[in-house]
Amino acid sequence: MRPERPELDRREHVWVRDAQRGSAAALEHLFRSHWPRAYRAALLVVGDAAAAEDIAQESFLAAIRALDRFDRRRPFGPWLHRIVVNRAIDWGRARSLRRELAPEDAPEPAALERDPGGHARELAAALAELGPEHRAVIVLRYLLDYTPGEIAELLELPRGTVNSRLRRGLDRLEAVLRRETA
Amino acid sequence: MSERGVQRLLGSVPVDEQAARRAWEIVRAAYAEREPRRSRRRRSSVALVLAAVAAAAAAAVLSPPGRAVVNAVRRSIGIEHAQPALFRLPAPGRLLVAGGSGAWIVADDGSKRRLGDYPQASWSPHALYVVAAAANELATVEPTGRVHWTLARPQIRFPRWGGTRSDTRIAYFTAGRLHIVAGDGTGDVAAQGLAAAAPVPPAWEPTTGDRHVLAYVTARGRVTVLDADSGNVQWVSAAYAGPRALAWSPDGRQLVLAGKTRVIVFDARTGRATAIRAGGVRALAFAPDGQLALLRSHEVLLRAGGLLHTLFVPPGGRLSGLVWSPDSRWLLTELPAADEWVFLQMRGGRRILAVSHIAAQFGAFPSLSGWAS
Repeated sequence: MRPERPELDRREHVWVRDAQRGSAAALEHLFRSHWPRAYRAALLVVGDAAAAEDIAQESFLAAIRALDRFDRRRPFGPWLHRIVVNRAIDWGRARSLRRELAPEDAPEPAALERDPGGHARELAAALAELGPEHRAVIVLRYLLDYTPGEIAELLELPRGTVNSRLRRGLDRLEAVLRRETA
Repeated sequence: MSERGVQRLLGSVPVDEQAARRAWEIVRAAYAEREPRRSRRRRSSVALVLAAVAAAAAAAVLSPPGRAVVNAVRRSIGIEHAQPALFRLPAPGRLLVAGGSGAWIVADDGSKRRLGDYPQASWSPHALYVVAAAANELATVEPTGRVHWTLARPQIRFPRWGGTRSDTRIAYFTAGRLHIVAGDGTGDVAAQGLAAAAPVPPAWEPTTGDRHVLAYVTARGRVTVLDADSGNVQWVSAAYAGPRALAWSPDGRQLVLAGKTRVIVFDARTGRATAIRAGGVRALAFAPDGQLALLRSHEVLLRAGGLLHTLFVPPGGRLSGLVWSPDSRWLLTELPAADEWVFLQMRGGRRILAVSHIAAQFGAFPSLSGWAS
């Protein structure tokens, strides 16, 4: 499941190189390969479909701006994920300062609410009870498959902090999901 | 809960395919505009120039949906960062402005031409002419300033020109009543003999082919869509309090009204209305590509994904006026108290350009009337 698998790494290396040289097709490969995880990660951290779209899109734009400086020897995924998750954390922190105006008659359903099985709705409720920093650690570990050491590096946190956030996050998720299910 | 269970749950969250398509279009456009890496020397010099321009122009991050950048904008834009004069427009096209010092056309190289003593003006449908109004005179004028015809009427307001290249109509208010006159100045009539209209500029449907369809707001706040050729009213809406602005989408499918507490989006064919809670909207502007921007006194909003997102909040003062560049890449608004224009880049980059000393450049602070190709 890891995006850093050797085959994907090789293809990604070529896509990044070609995108740096001006190939829109290579960029599209990169986008198609990374958008679902970037969007999903942002969505799980912020819990808002429109904001997740903004964040994932802005992260790709930031990546394009810095593409020429990108070191091709390094994997593209962690670089992008760092941008996405940090932006999502910032958004979550600043959320209370922002205003949104929803249509009266036809509210836009968040993607999380469109899950027919209802699990995603429960997950959203459970994640909503965690702070954005905790959600980010959960997402990096269990959606993007980073090790606690890699998460500590990505978020510039002590390893112990990552471990404790993971533990507490899992406990809270379990408690909320049990309550929701009951 | 097991770690595997959490993994399965997180991985099952659906991805919005429409969001992916929208994002790819924007990412692709940004990539197309990126300076490809060819010559290291050239790149670094371009980067230096861009950095200098960005600093001078108060560059800030501005996402197309916009929300993620409000705080960045708030931090970075300020009167002290504004250019001292309008050296050039950031996008091709000609900007029409009007006010106390008359009507002016600004070319994209920053040059200005004064059309005459007209405090109100708007472009013809293909920007070949301008319809302008003084207190008691309606006039059509070439962009060179040459007057084609004039019509004397009392208390003229809101002249608006619509139609095709070969057959046009001009709607305007005179003493609070709606009139329609042919593009050559003939056949002036009081439309429908209707009661006084609300002080909201009427709007011509942009894609009616041979027909001329006009939307306007009655004094009772009802949006009325009128076939100006047959005189038939296509539909009339319920009454809305405090109407301020009316705009058609470029494809003619939607008509939008800014009311006192809500923005109403009408299906243009049926008149079916959907309301968005948003009080105090004073101006609406559709981009040629269909994006809708809205202006409140202290913020610019953008409709995206069915929601309104705050796009720009000035450091102080009230905003007025809102126009899109013809290529949909820039949005222009005004800060009269700061004597500034503020250009917001919406596509292909992420800059904000503020230009100061506007009143000195035009003789008085003008209103934005349109930005045409």
